[in-house]
Amino acid sequence: MDKKETDDKKAAVIERESQTEALREMLRAPAAAPLAPLPLETLVPEVRQQTPAVRQRATRPDARLHGLGQTKYIDDFYLPGMLFAKIKRAGIASARIVRIDTKEAEALPGVVAVVTARDVPCNSFGPSLKDQPVLAGERVFHAGDGVAAVAAVTEQIAAEALEKIEVEYEPVTPVLDPLESLKLETPGLHAPNPNIYGHKVIRKGDVEKGFAASYRIFEASYRTQMVEHVPLEPHSSLATWDANGRVTIYSTLGRITLGRADLARTLAVPMSRIRIIATVVGGNFGGKNEITTEPVVALLAKKTGRPVKCTFTRPEEFTSSTTRHPIIMDYKTGVTKEGRILARQVRLVLDGGAYCSWSETTLAKACILSPGPYDIENIYAEAFVVYTNKTMTGAMRGFGAPQVCFAYESHMDDIAEALGIDPLEIRLRNVLREGSLSPTSQQLHSVVVRETLLQAAQRFGWNGAEVRA
Amino acid sequence: MKRRGRGIACMWYPIGFTVSANPSAAVVKVNEDGTATLLTGTVETGQGSLTILAQIVAQELGIATDDVHVVSADTDTTPMDTGAIASRTTYVTGNAARLAAEKAKKILFDVAAPLLGVKPDHLEVSDHKIQIKGFPSRSLHIGDVAERARGVNGDPPLGSASFNPATAALDPETGQGKPFATYVYATQIAEVDVDDETGEVEVLRVVASHDCGTPINPMLVEGQVEGGISMGVGFALEEEMLFDANGRQINPNLTNYIMPTSLDMPKVEVDIVDSYDPTGPFGAKGVGEPTCVATAAAILNAIHDAVGVRVTSLPATSEKVYAAIKAKRAQEGKRLAAGT
Repeated sequence: MDKKETDDKKAAVIERESQTEALREMLRAPAAAPLAPLPLETLVPEVRQQTPAVRQRATRPDARLHGLGQTKYIDDFYLPGMLFAKIKRAGIASARIVRIDTKEAEALPGVVAVVTARDVPCNSFGPSLKDQPVLAGERVFHAGDGVAAVAAVTEQIAAEALEKIEVEYEPVTPVLDPLESLKLETPGLHAPNPNIYGHKVIRKGDVEKGFAASYRIFEASYRTQMVEHVPLEPHSSLATWDANGRVTIYSTLGRITLGRADLARTLAVPMSRIRIIATVVGGNFGGKNEITTEPVVALLAKKTGRPVKCTFTRPEEFTSSTTRHPIIMDYKTGVTKEGRILARQVRLVLDGGAYCSWSETTLAKACILSPGPYDIENIYAEAFVVYTNKTMTGAMRGFGAPQVCFAYESHMDDIAEALGIDPLEIRLRNVLREGSLSPTSQQLHSVVVRETLLQAAQRFGWNGAEVRA
Repeated sequence: MKRRGRGIACMWYPIGFTVSANPSAAVVKVNEDGTATLLTGTVETGQGSLTILAQIVAQELGIATDDVHVVSADTDTTPMDTGAIASRTTYVTGNAARLAAEKAKKILFDVAAPLLGVKPDHLEVSDHKIQIKGFPSRSLHIGDVAERARGVNGDPPLGSASFNPATAALDPETGQGKPFATYVYATQIAEVDVDDETGEVEVLRVVASHDCGTPINPMLVEGQVEGGISMGVGFALEEEMLFDANGRQINPNLTNYIMPTSLDMPKVEVDIVDSYDPTGPFGAKGVGEPTCVATAAAILNAIHDAVGVRVTSLPATSEKVYAAIKAKRAQEGKRLAAGT
C-alpha cells in the first residue's frame, strides 16, 4: 500500500467523521437550542383589529397556539404524585357478571387502587334514560363496558394490572340485529326497559289520499353503517381532590354543565363541590357530550388521595365511546307526472346499541328531517330506536340527518330518472320556500334551499343552471 | 375504465335541541380601556366558536375582535351553557353573548349621553367610539366612557344575559308543532371517477353551497364545510365499524378502520349563500353539523350517474360498487340473450 493511498484513506475517514459529527450536531440542535422569543407583534393578523368585527375573516387565537405547539391537552398535564388509570373492558357483548376478583391486581407493585361498580355511589346516568352504568356491576350489555379500573404509578403497570383482574361471566345470547330486537318480546335485552326504547311519529295531511292521487309511486330501502367520530385527541380527564372534599376535573367534555350534573349524581357529591375545567378539545363531533372517564378518575383520586388521569386508548375510542346510529330506512313516495311530490311515507329503525345516550334526540331529528327539504302536503314518518348488544350509539355530527339525507336524495334521483326529469329540476320543483310548512307544520323563515341549489349548480356548471339563475 | 359522474344533494338542518330547552348564559365586562371580557360556559372543541363569540361581542360594542378576551369552560367561573352540541353555539350562545354585551353597552350609553347632550337612544357604537346617530363627529372613545362609568358614575359596564331558542311542544299523536327555532339549508354537488373494473371511487370535486345566515366569520364557515365534507367522504365510501358474530368489534383501530386522509380529499369549492335570520345574532344561524349531511348522498348519486348502479347501503366500498356493476352487467346480458 503506497503512502498516497494511505493518506487518501485517512482523509476519507477524517471527512466521514467530520460529516458524522456535523450530523450529530444537527440532531442535537433542537434540545440544545435556547428558547427563541416569540415574534408576537409581527404575527398578529391585522384583521383581528378591524371594525366592524362581524363578517371579518378573523384568525383564531388558539390556532396560533396550535401552530406554535403551545396548546396543552390533558395528555400534557402532570400534577405532582399523579397516578394513571386504566379501565378493564368486558370483551363479551352480553353476560351476567358472576364474580370479579381484583386481589392479584391490587397486590401488583405500583398499583395504588382498584375500583369496581361497588365503589360507585350511584351507578347510572344518561341524558334522557339513565340506563348507563359508570362500571358494569351485574350485567354487561356490550363488549366495551368497563368492569373495573386501576390506578397505578405508571400506565404500563396499570395496563398490566388489568390482565390480573379475574372476571367470571355467565354469557347471555347477544342480540345484534336491530330488526330482531324490534320483534323480541319481553323480558327484553335491557329489562326492565323495553327493547324499543324510543318511538316517534310525524303525521301531516293524509298520505293515503296523496298516494291515491299520485301518477306513480316509488318505494326503496336504504341502510347505513356504524361509524366513529375519531377525534385526534382521545377522551381524557384528570381529577384531583382538595382536603375540603372538593374535586377539580380537567376534561375533554364539550358540555361541562351537563357533565357536572352527571358527576354530582354518580359521585353523590353536591354540584358546589365539583369544578370541571374543559381544556382545549382536540375534536368532538358529538362524541364528547357525556361523561366517560370522569367519574372513574374522580373515584380513584378520592380513594388514593392523589391526582389521577385516564386517557382512552385508540381501541377504547371505538369500543367504549358513542358512535353514529346505523339506520334502516324505508321510503315510499307518490308523485305527479311532473315530479311534484304528493305524499311521502318513511319508516326508520335506529340501532340504538347498548345504551340510550342521545338516541331520543337522534330519533326525533331523523324523523322530522326524513322527508327532506321539500314542500310535501302529506307525510307519515315513523321512527323506532331499539337496544342491541353493540357499542352504544349517540350524538354524532348530524344527529341522524346524514343517514336520512342519503336515503331521500338517492330516492329523489331515482324518481327523477324514472320520470325523465333533470335531478336539479326535480328538486327545484319541490323544495321548501319562504313560509312553507315543515313536516311538523311549522311555518319556516329565511328558507334558502333553492338559492343553494342554484348557486352550487352555477359553480359546478350543471346543465342550464346559468340560464335559470 | 374510469367513468365520470356527477351527483347533487340538498338538505335542511335545524339549530339547537328538538323542543327541549337548551339555554346559554353569558357575562360581558367592558374594561376601563374599552376592551372587553366575555365569560361563557361553552367549550372550544376545535371549531373556532370562541372566535365567533368574540366577534359577536366586538360587533355589539363597536370594538375589534382582538379587543375581546374570552374566558370559557370552567364550572366555577363561567355561566351555564348547554355546550358544544346541536350546531347551537353561534345562534344560542351567540345571542346570549350579544344580549350581555348590549346590557353593558346600555350602561356606557347612560354615561355618555349627558356628556354628548343627547338621550341614550340617540347613540350608537362605531370603531371604538360612542357617537350620536347621524353625527359621527360628535363622539367619545369607548375607553374614556368605560373609565368614567367606573371612576365617576360608579356603575361599571357589565352585563349578563341568557337565551333559549323559541320552540313549541310537538303533539304526541301527530308530531305537529315547532321543534326548532330555525333551520339552515345547503346543496353539495360531487364529481367522481368510478373504475368499472375495480369499483374504486375517487371523489374529484365537491361544490358546496351553504346557508348559515350571516357568516360571522367566513373563513371559519369554510373550515367547517371542508371538515364536514371529509367526514362525508368517509361515511360514503370507507368508514365502517365491524362486529363478529358474538358482538365484538373486528376493527377498533386506525389500521383496519379506513377513513379519508388528505390524499382522499376532493377539491372543495365553498360558497356561502346570501341569507339573514332576524332571530340570530346579526342574522347568523349556524353551520357545524350541516356540513357533513349532504356529502354522502351527493357522492352516491354521482356513482349512479357514472356507472348506472344504485348502491343502497353505506359505505359504498369498491367491493360493493363492483358487485353492483357486475350484477347490472349480468342482468343486461340476460336481457340481450332474451332479445328484448
